[in-house]
Amino acid sequence: MIRSKPKCAVLVLVAAVHALLWIPAGSAQESRADSIAKQQEEKSRQLRPEVPDRVEQFVTRMTQGGWFFSANPRGLYPYFDSVYPGGGFTLGAGYRRYYGDYAFAEARGLYSFKNYKRFELRTVSPNHAGGRVDLEALAGWMDATQIPYYGLGIESAKAAESNFRLQETYVRGGATVRPASWFRLRAVTGYDRFIQTAGTGGTPSIGDLYGPETAPGLGVNPSYVHTEASAAVVWAPAEGYARRGGIYRYTVHDYRNVTGNLDSFQLGRSELVQHIPILRETWVLSLRGRLESVYNQNAQVPYFLLPWLGSGSTLRGYGTGRFRDRHSLLMTGEWRWIPNRFALDMALFADAGTVAPRFKDLSFGDLKYDYGIGVRLHGPAVTALRFDVAHGSEGWHLVISASAPF
Amino acid sequence: MCRKKRIEHASMIGIAATGLLLLTSLASSAGAQQRKFYDDDPITREPNTRDASGAIKRDIDLMYDLGFNLFALSRTPALVRAQNINTIDEVPDSEWFTSRILARPISVDEAAKGPDTCAGPAPGKLIVVHAKRSGVTPGFTVKDSAGRTWFVQFDAPGQAEAASGAAVVATKLFHALGYFQTENYISYLDPARLEIDGQAEVDTPSNRVRPMTLDDIQRVLARASKRPDGTYRMLASLAIPGRVIGGFKYFGTRKDDPNDLVPHEHRRELRALKVFGAWTNLVDMKALNTLDTVITENGRSVVRHYLQDVGSTFGTGALAPREWDEGYEYLFEADKAMKRLASFGFYFQPWQTISYLEYKSIGRFEGDYFKPVEWKPRVPTAAMLNARADDTFWAARRVMAFTDEMIRAIVKTGQYSDPAAEQHLAEVLIKRRDKIGKAYLPSVNPLVDFRLDASGSLTFENAAVKAGFAAAPRGGYEARWYRFDNSSGNATPIGAPVVSPALKILAPAGLPAGNGEFIKIEVAAVDSPESSWTTPVRVYFRRLPSGWKLVGLERMPD
Repeated sequence: MIRSKPKCAVLVLVAAVHALLWIPAGSAQESRADSIAKQQEEKSRQLRPEVPDRVEQFVTRMTQGGWFFSANPRGLYPYFDSVYPGGGFTLGAGYRRYYGDYAFAEARGLYSFKNYKRFELRTVSPNHAGGRVDLEALAGWMDATQIPYYGLGIESAKAAESNFRLQETYVRGGATVRPASWFRLRAVTGYDRFIQTAGTGGTPSIGDLYGPETAPGLGVNPSYVHTEASAAVVWAPAEGYARRGGIYRYTVHDYRNVTGNLDSFQLGRSELVQHIPILRETWVLSLRGRLESVYNQNAQVPYFLLPWLGSGSTLRGYGTGRFRDRHSLLMTGEWRWIPNRFALDMALFADAGTVAPRFKDLSFGDLKYDYGIGVRLHGPAVTALRFDVAHGSEGWHLVISASAPF
Repeated sequence: MCRKKRIEHASMIGIAATGLLLLTSLASSAGAQQRKFYDDDPITREPNTRDASGAIKRDIDLMYDLGFNLFALSRTPALVRAQNINTIDEVPDSEWFTSRILARPISVDEAAKGPDTCAGPAPGKLIVVHAKRSGVTPGFTVKDSAGRTWFVQFDAPGQAEAASGAAVVATKLFHALGYFQTENYISYLDPARLEIDGQAEVDTPSNRVRPMTLDDIQRVLARASKRPDGTYRMLASLAIPGRVIGGFKYFGTRKDDPNDLVPHEHRRELRALKVFGAWTNLVDMKALNTLDTVITENGRSVVRHYLQDVGSTFGTGALAPREWDEGYEYLFEADKAMKRLASFGFYFQPWQTISYLEYKSIGRFEGDYFKPVEWKPRVPTAAMLNARADDTFWAARRVMAFTDEMIRAIVKTGQYSDPAAEQHLAEVLIKRRDKIGKAYLPSVNPLVDFRLDASGSLTFENAAVKAGFAAAPRGGYEARWYRFDNSSGNATPIGAPVVSPALKILAPAGLPAGNGEFIKIEVAAVDSPESSWTTPVRVYFRRLPSGWKLVGLERMPD
């Protein structure tokens, strides 16, 4: 019944019991009770402690370390995330130590096959004010070596692809407040410093094709006091994976220029996500609308901080950062079906989006479209691995990610 | 090298097993010269003759348990007869099981009382001694004013009465069915009654255990369903006696328990959970929901086995209604996943369209579509995969022994505030009970309750016909009578086969009359609509001074 060694063990036991039931009468046992007693006596001479086998010991170590389905890993743990969109397959690890019941400090790092890397030191102190307030502080460094840049606007040409290297050093601190289980407020402030250099990718470096007029802020290494505030209504079971409910969030970023002689500016993002289960979650219609805007029309915003669309979880049929400008509009629809509710989702999806230099120039007539199919391996609250293959007007594109599309 | 050693080891075990089987087969055939029944057959209690005080605590990892049962467990049954049954095909009492319903008359009051020995936590202060360590429902451990320890859990917000009601009702059902159960009570908590013990501790995500504070209590209560009057309805489970040594697996035996001889997958009462689980929708059949304790009995330490948490029953989970597919599919089934994947979700299953009358306190639980044979828990167990028709027949008879009145009385102990919800749960249980009887009683030759009086009149019952799930065989019943030599196993016919249209057959002339003589009778249906009924049930009687005693019954011998 049980495979391999356990199967043999079971055979032995079945045989033993078989023997027990058919024990010859000529033996010492004169009663059924005697024969059972003899078997028990024999077993009592071969007792061994109940201990888990090596596989179970391994699983237990992983479970106790919080590696599986836990937001609370301890010690060394695998870390799944992206360094920066377009970084490719990424591996990561972290080390977490608790200094309070829930408060912890950790170091974590990511490295991608495109040589993107990120390293962070972070401390989180959750569950203040009766579990309604989480505090967080973070310092980190990121190096994205070959971020594509195609120029500004929805009509930018694919042939005009270049790439740049961006390094970011940041220190941030903030709080998340949950006045109700479905309502979240978040505020984070900190210091961001950016260094841009020539890209290491196979396309021309950005400086070879573009100047400050076509790539605002090119050559400048600015720093900002960056403050982010958001309010969200969350009635999906989890943000990392959901088949019902919705997430409605508004976020504003304030960049106060410190060095680099660029303007200060604000960037707003509004996002609506709704999951509509159909026939008891046989299918799920997942919809998203997202609008990003630079609020200060005349402020000089470095090209790498402008809203963009392409790949990742935006226009998945296009390359990373394919379209950039001061305003972006994105609409996504997914028709999901659930081969296995415990682990596997599939999706047919379509994306549409556009960018424009002015809000009023955002036009449905300029939308870029793509469509595709996706496979997602997930747990109850997280999407562990996502493969999306999408086709846009510029051909096919593969997205591999460790997060849900939205 | 290591792999080679493992293979050699496995081979040696395999050879040993084969050898042992061969030897026992030889013993069986040699049994032509050996006796079949002992003087104490049929035994009514599994003896525990050895001291099990050396059994140590061992927690079975949840992920490993689920993963093993989902992916490593062979789905091919061994097709062997249950190994812990006595010679009349019944399960003797043991530290796993106590024959109650069907084995003896049980009053409605006794069924509704279940394992309870008191009225719940004593009035007055409840001293919190520890935070809850497992499971997803909020709760903690308390001591009442009588000094008893209780594990208390609360219903989730929006699911008032659901988890607590299910646990109490299911406990009564499984107790009547024969399993060791914890005493579960519904009680109401005014938070003002709570005090924190100076030694109370709480586990934290940091893995640090620290003294419990009022904040910890408030955090637990914040996750609980609060009543309009500010109190909380709680499920209070009395601490079970003995030293807890973890759960049991549904296969193999405990290596540190000398009295645990029968592989668990071949224990009939564990196989029977395929039927009892289907009746109650006990989908969460995992090792973590079982508990072994070392108790002292007659001066000897023995291991007692509890179905400790049967709260994942009916239509509700701990925090929300059942997922739609629970009870219909395992957590992972590769073939269904592939079909859904390839068909873009158009590979339909019944759970997608079944209609439910949903009450928040009951969840998704129905009896109109219910198909007992197709029911599945979240993950399979080796025991239920090995269940044969004689096991499910045995179980179905026990389910059928619950009267409507008994079911309604047990459901009432769930203390549902909505009478319609209470009525719904009882009606669904009644419907599912009848479907279980209809599915399993006719599937084997269902002749039961054999008696042979001194005059040679054999009487019996047809369980399926009596329950109204099958028509009586048109040709009646045929009995073939044999003189049985218990020493050699030889059976010598007595007269010609006797056919009777009724459930009473007179023995032919020549029935042995000497004390200690054995007879064997093979009884089968004649011209039956059910093909399985033509396979005879073999019964064995032994002549005693007081008359004929049933000593053997084989419905599906190996």
